[in-house]
Amino acid sequence: MTRESDTGARPSSDAATDEDDPTLVLPDEIRTQLCEHARAGTPEEICGILGGTFDSDRSQVSSAYPATNVADTPRTRYRIDPEEQLECFERLEATGEEIVGFYHSHPNGPSRPSETDVEAATWPDRSYVIVSLEPFAVGSWRWRSSGAVDTRSESGGYFERERIVS
Amino acid sequence: MRVTVDVKGEETHEISLADLREIGGDSSADTAEDKEAKPTYADLLREIDLSPHEVSVLVEGRPVPEDQPVESEQVTVLRLIKGGSR
Repeated sequence: MTRESDTGARPSSDAATDEDDPTLVLPDEIRTQLCEHARAGTPEEICGILGGTFDSDRSQVSSAYPATNVADTPRTRYRIDPEEQLECFERLEATGEEIVGFYHSHPNGPSRPSETDVEAATWPDRSYVIVSLEPFAVGSWRWRSSGAVDTRSESGGYFERERIVS
Repeated sequence: MRVTVDVKGEETHEISLADLREIGGDSSADTAEDKEAKPTYADLLREIDLSPHEVSVLVEGRPVPEDQPVESEQVTVLRLIKGGSR
């Protein structure tokens, strides 16, 4: 099943999705886990790491690892501590998983990457899942560090919308 | 000394600090003090086209300042995970 968002509305930066678009396979139970984490963390943003099978065009999530948001202003920013990040990666590698991407919440929207997200993105081709609570929507974007289209940063990277399938 | 730089989620690089010193600039202009200066973790990052603004450098699981001289043969580099709605 393809799921663009629970509102059915696409963010303004979206292009029409089709079979050629990058895809994130996100099982329903993990999607539910992310949403519950986001609701439990409100009014602050929550964040975590997604493990599974990585491919630059089609990745499969098999685990979600919640992380502590250590940002100075956690209601509007998130940051994962490098030591916790490394511990998580080592757990993930120990189970044979790859780094598929990351997730975080926007308690009050937007239901797409913000300018801050664009400026801070650093992981080429990984998935950045955003759980927006108000308005409610779950979407995912790949960070492309070169090329064209979509939301562009001064560094030349941009977020490309991807399909979420369960 | 050769340093193994593990960029998590990407490649592992083998870097010779001696090579870094040679790449570091015009040797004829170096002072004796410059020649003694050890490459820093920032120099390592530059060698693999990464910026200190986008990564953290860890040694034995602990972050180290990028401007410190390289003292370890094993270095882990993590791209930062951060952002936010505003």
